[in-house]
Amino acid sequence: MRHVLWMSVFAALTAIVFGVVAKGDTKQRVRYAVKVFAEFLVVAFILGWILYFLPFR
Amino acid sequence: MVAKEINRESRGTASGQAWVIGIAAWAVPGLGHLLVRRWLRALLLGGAIWVMFLTGLALGGHLFILRGDEWGFSSLVQLLPMIANVGLGALYVGCWLMNTGFAENAQRLTYEYGNTFLLVAGLLNYLAMLDAFDIAAGRKE
Repeated sequence: MRHVLWMSVFAALTAIVFGVVAKGDTKQRVRYAVKVFAEFLVVAFILGWILYFLPFR
Repeated sequence: MVAKEINRESRGTASGQAWVIGIAAWAVPGLGHLLVRRWLRALLLGGAIWVMFLTGLALGGHLFILRGDEWGFSSLVQLLPMIANVGLGALYVGCWLMNTGFAENAQRLTYEYGNTFLLVAGLLNYLAMLDAFDIAAGRKE
């Protein structure tokens, strides 16, 4: 659970910076930041499940 | 042709003040946007980068530095993350002067998270620095 928490904090902070420096009006930039945040989480969950099934041990 | 002219003009308008603001933005996260009076941008960018830096240290991450005893590939392994960390500007220099944050805490569960926070905080500050420079140079609203 702690990993998900820190991953979400990381995604949120990065998305804020990306949203602020992006071009467009405020609405577009907020939408972009939310999109970046969601993409971080979705990709992390997908990669997490893929790695879960890979026999690394 | 017109686009080339505009590009040449905009390149020429980067005044000394813009460079000073760019350096200030690198040195202290958020300061560049404060100097160009973009309060909300300064709060969001500076706040996010500061929080990332402090969280990275709290999670047990460490800053990278070239100690001079690395050779070949191992120096490259240290150099690239160090360039990312140097993006933190005065925060990195302050840590270096106080010899804080360079010790590895690999036994900590969140060690890798801390490293990632510190690396990305520096990279994001480079982005914020370019944004402040562009605003000061009149290339961005």
